[in-house]
Amino acid sequence: MASKAGQVKNLSRRSFLKFVGGTAGLVGISLNLTGCGDPATADEAIGGNGWMPTQYNAPGNWPTSVRGRVPIDPENPAIVRDDQKCILCGQCIEVCERIQSVFGNYELPIKKEFVCVNCGQCIQWCPSGAISERDDVNKVFKALADPNVTVVVQTAPATRIGLGEEFGMPVGTNVQGKQVAALRKLGFDVVFDTNFTADLTIMEEGTELVKRVTGELHHPIPQMTSCCPGWVKFVEYFYPELIPNLSSAKSPQQMEGALIKTYFAEKKEVDPKKIFSVSIMPCTAKKFECQRPEMNSASKELNDSNVSPDVDVVLTTRELARMIKRAGIDFASLPEEEYDKLMGTGTGAGVIFGTTGGVMEAAVRSAYFLITGQQPPAALWNLTPVRGMQGVKEAAVNIPGVGDVKVAVISGLANARKVMDQMKAGNAPWAFMEIMACPGGCEYGGGQPRASSPPSDEDRNRRAASLYNIDAKSKLRNSHDNPEIKQIYADFLTAPMSEKAEELLHTHYVSRADDFIPKKSEENKLF
Amino acid sequence: MELITTVLSKAGAKKSTVKWKFKMTPMRWVFTGIAAAAIAVILVRFVLGLGATTNLNDQWPWGLWISFDVLLGVALAGGGYGTALIVYVLRRDKFYPIARSAMLTSLLGYIVVVLGLLIEVGQWFNFWRPYVSWGHASVLFEVFWCISCYTVIQILEFCEVGTEKVFKGAHKYLKKAMPVMLIIGITLPTLHQSSLGQLFYLMVGKVNPLWWTAFLPVFFLLSSFFVGAGMIVIESTLAGKALNHKVEIPVLRGLVKISAGAMILYLMLKITDMVVRGTFANAFAFDLPSIMFLSELTFGVIIPVIIAFSSLSSTRKGLIWFGILTVSGVVMNRFDVLFTGMGKYLNQYGGSYVPAVSEFIVSLGLVSIACLAYLFLAENFNILGSHGSEHADDIEIKDGKYASTAK
Amino acid sequence: MAKGVLVDIPKCIGCESCSVACKLWNELEWDEQEKCKTAADRAKEPNNGLWPEEWTSINRFDLEKDGESVARYVKAQCMHCEDPACVSSCFSKAFQKLPEGPVIYDQSLCVGCRYCMMACPFDILRYEWKKAIPGVRKCQMCATRVANNQETACTSVCPTGAITFGDREELLAEAKKRIKEHGYVDRVFGEKEAGGTSWLYISDTPFEQMRFRTDVTTKPLPSYTEGYMKATPFVGVGWAAILAGLYVYNNKGKEPLD
Repeated sequence: MASKAGQVKNLSRRSFLKFVGGTAGLVGISLNLTGCGDPATADEAIGGNGWMPTQYNAPGNWPTSVRGRVPIDPENPAIVRDDQKCILCGQCIEVCERIQSVFGNYELPIKKEFVCVNCGQCIQWCPSGAISERDDVNKVFKALADPNVTVVVQTAPATRIGLGEEFGMPVGTNVQGKQVAALRKLGFDVVFDTNFTADLTIMEEGTELVKRVTGELHHPIPQMTSCCPGWVKFVEYFYPELIPNLSSAKSPQQMEGALIKTYFAEKKEVDPKKIFSVSIMPCTAKKFECQRPEMNSASKELNDSNVSPDVDVVLTTRELARMIKRAGIDFASLPEEEYDKLMGTGTGAGVIFGTTGGVMEAAVRSAYFLITGQQPPAALWNLTPVRGMQGVKEAAVNIPGVGDVKVAVISGLANARKVMDQMKAGNAPWAFMEIMACPGGCEYGGGQPRASSPPSDEDRNRRAASLYNIDAKSKLRNSHDNPEIKQIYADFLTAPMSEKAEELLHTHYVSRADDFIPKKSEENKLF
Repeated sequence: MELITTVLSKAGAKKSTVKWKFKMTPMRWVFTGIAAAAIAVILVRFVLGLGATTNLNDQWPWGLWISFDVLLGVALAGGGYGTALIVYVLRRDKFYPIARSAMLTSLLGYIVVVLGLLIEVGQWFNFWRPYVSWGHASVLFEVFWCISCYTVIQILEFCEVGTEKVFKGAHKYLKKAMPVMLIIGITLPTLHQSSLGQLFYLMVGKVNPLWWTAFLPVFFLLSSFFVGAGMIVIESTLAGKALNHKVEIPVLRGLVKISAGAMILYLMLKITDMVVRGTFANAFAFDLPSIMFLSELTFGVIIPVIIAFSSLSSTRKGLIWFGILTVSGVVMNRFDVLFTGMGKYLNQYGGSYVPAVSEFIVSLGLVSIACLAYLFLAENFNILGSHGSEHADDIEIKDGKYASTAK
Repeated sequence: MAKGVLVDIPKCIGCESCSVACKLWNELEWDEQEKCKTAADRAKEPNNGLWPEEWTSINRFDLEKDGESVARYVKAQCMHCEDPACVSSCFSKAFQKLPEGPVIYDQSLCVGCRYCMMACPFDILRYEWKKAIPGVRKCQMCATRVANNQETACTSVCPTGAITFGDREELLAEAKKRIKEHGYVDRVFGEKEAGGTSWLYISDTPFEQMRFRTDVTTKPLPSYTEGYMKATPFVGVGWAAILAGLYVYNNKGKEPLD
């Protein structure tokens, strides 16, 4: 707003929102026309589906029922906040407390650090863009500029159906090939697909599950997935007694990272010390995961402390988009390119890791194979009970020789909390459980592009549909059929859960129960 | 430099001419230079603010300007009221020769203080607010009223002198008003000198106990009184050199003895205060505050008292030492109350304050302006001259170039 | 009835909603450098992270408690004394204590002498050193909101109830109750400090480790100069009368000096 004197007056976010929210007339209409969403009605709760927080629709000069915000540690490896943009609408609290059941699920005073699973859902819900991922783009640009460094990148299953939105494409557009082309254009030396290690995870985790069921491995059942670092941290915080139920298999990202600095380095004769390993993830918690002290298997395996952590930098989908934009690449006109060989082939089972139920579906397909030695029937290629946006899904899969195997699929940590409490009470009829921290799974992770409207199942379904479509069109739909998986076991790892596989592909967890005072009452209320 | 102004009398026909003279000497050029630099800094301060020209900060909202220009300036200028008291009220006529110059110094001192304050305060254009918006619970309110009124009174008092030369018609009215002006002119400074001390009494627990006491107003008042003699000695010596005019030793000695009497009272009160509040241990802890406190008392009070009551005070050298020590003692005291006294508290979380060069320039510049004004007025008005002082012809002329300015 | 705010230090999670709310409500400006400072940085700064455009700040203190290292977040802002030193020290009445509790400042009356800053027992006032026409800046306790039966902006957004707005008397009772319940340090900071303040603090860790001025006087600061100011007119008139008498007596039968 320029005044007559030519001075630019700063317009605060609050006054802007009051202006927009309070002036129902022309401004509201024009905003609707430009697609900025309907002003929410008063009966829609905070965090309703309007673009504008409801507090700003009330008369008066200060938003009503503002609720503050979640604490974010300045040292948080994944999430940062720009105070200047914060409007205190309380959406972050809403999602953190009600959907992820983290905020408010501990007693005060806090001890040393804020309890945070780094899931990044607060980013997705923040209407003013105040919360965002910790920007690591410059680290990557620096590595790319260094000719002595081999920069290897992996891309998660869900980034390919998210990235396009940053360039104006419809929700769920599959840009797998363009993504590879863009990464090459940015100067990445090798482009791998995390789908490959998703398949590998199925082999490791599936083998582990079979061993648990047969009693070969003295670990409790149900086995719970460990691909999601937000979920893993959640267990470490709130359910340390259930840590043994977590699969010891690393997440696909960390498997790929460990293998890049060992298997790839060995095969391609590259000095592991000069490999810079980047991963493009739909997730902010991955930034935390790659910094965990356990995640430097390559260094341990090679007995060389100069080898950096398995994954050096994690970029979110949004950061990759920013890199592409900064480099001035015309993303829409890029050709479709293929991933590099060795660790760049994934199956349809790998790609559906990107949505809730995907890991389960992939695991069931391969478990069927591992137990029966036969290819799974076509019904398992469309396991509808575990698909969809329901928070808790259950299914029973009949595997010849074993009978009905009960499985559960959960997304959203508040849902997980309910099921965990049920498990602690001894009521856990499942053999295998897939749990993802973010509602809907990775496709709507904390690192995915922000949609023009707040997170909704409509968008989630469109992204998921795109992933299932990729799976349906894949030539290979079972993890165990992946030729590169066969090759890596033959050439490098020998067999699932072999000694080498244990060292590189499996990990352990730590209890974080001492970081805070646990909630005394079971009542789920705010302090 | 000579300037002749012609004033048209009201009859219209007759013209009277007045001669103004001001001779530039090297020292005066130095003063002019410093004053010019100060004015430049002051301009910057008004355009860019206090942050750009001072090292003041939120821990140290008061610094060199307030302590030097106000606390110190007022104290040093305070000699005027003391002399007025002795000469006009108590009619110790032998001190009359120094009365006018002491009161001129005081006037110039106050003008400098007022100027310094206008530069120092944030919203100088609001200086008149306390006249209408009465913050009467504030000690500063009293200081403000007293200083501003006293400055006006002093100007009027000086007008009495000034009208001997210009606007002669007003002289007789001013002369009639003199007794009232003198009484008010003594009452006001005694009130505000003590209040300047009381200002710090509000900073409970912030000022070192060596200085923070209920006696603060009394100490400030007494010291402003006894520093007067010291100032007059120094000033008459400097003026004696510059204007070739010396005040007789017995006059100064008498003044010094009165001052030393006040010092003894001051010292006794200090000791009593220390006994009552039990701060002896602090005084002899030999940390920085204790050293400052002790040297302030030793050099600024005890040694001057010894000088005053010994044969030393019958020599010009002894008198000058008395003056230098007394004035430095009070300078030190005022700086101690603020800087040494509050340093530990204000710096406890890493605050710090060292005056900026620009701050020194402004303080020195204001003094320079005062000196130049003094010299001009002393040369052009009957300040030093008329009664009982040694005239230039009576004493040897040491430096020929100053001689020409003598009357 | 005088309002107040109770700060329950152990309940603060350091989200800094309060300081953002303060910025928003008072339309205070942001500063790139200040914005990047963390609560721990601010605790180590001489000014507590308060500057002219930041009227309240959260400071983080890392302490030892029962052999464990813990972090405590302390909100800093004007304490709004019951009988404020700034009000009594201001010679142009630019400060005012409202009956509802807030101590407010009016720049149009301010001369800029900064005596208030020197007098403030909690060193909370900040000056706009960078401006050509500066004023004093501090928390106004959302005086217009409080007068309008609303609570202060900061308390309205606290997600954990660490800061509670209410009647001072009731809050004081609540504070004492909480001290007993939770085994806090047996002191309500602000109950008696500087003669009592509208803002009250309770804590489970020693106040002196969190930059509280625990040795501050419990007498209202204006009481230190009250007697002096009351006596001044009488002393002045009396002194003038004595001088007049002496003048007349000493000048009797003498030629007046000219």
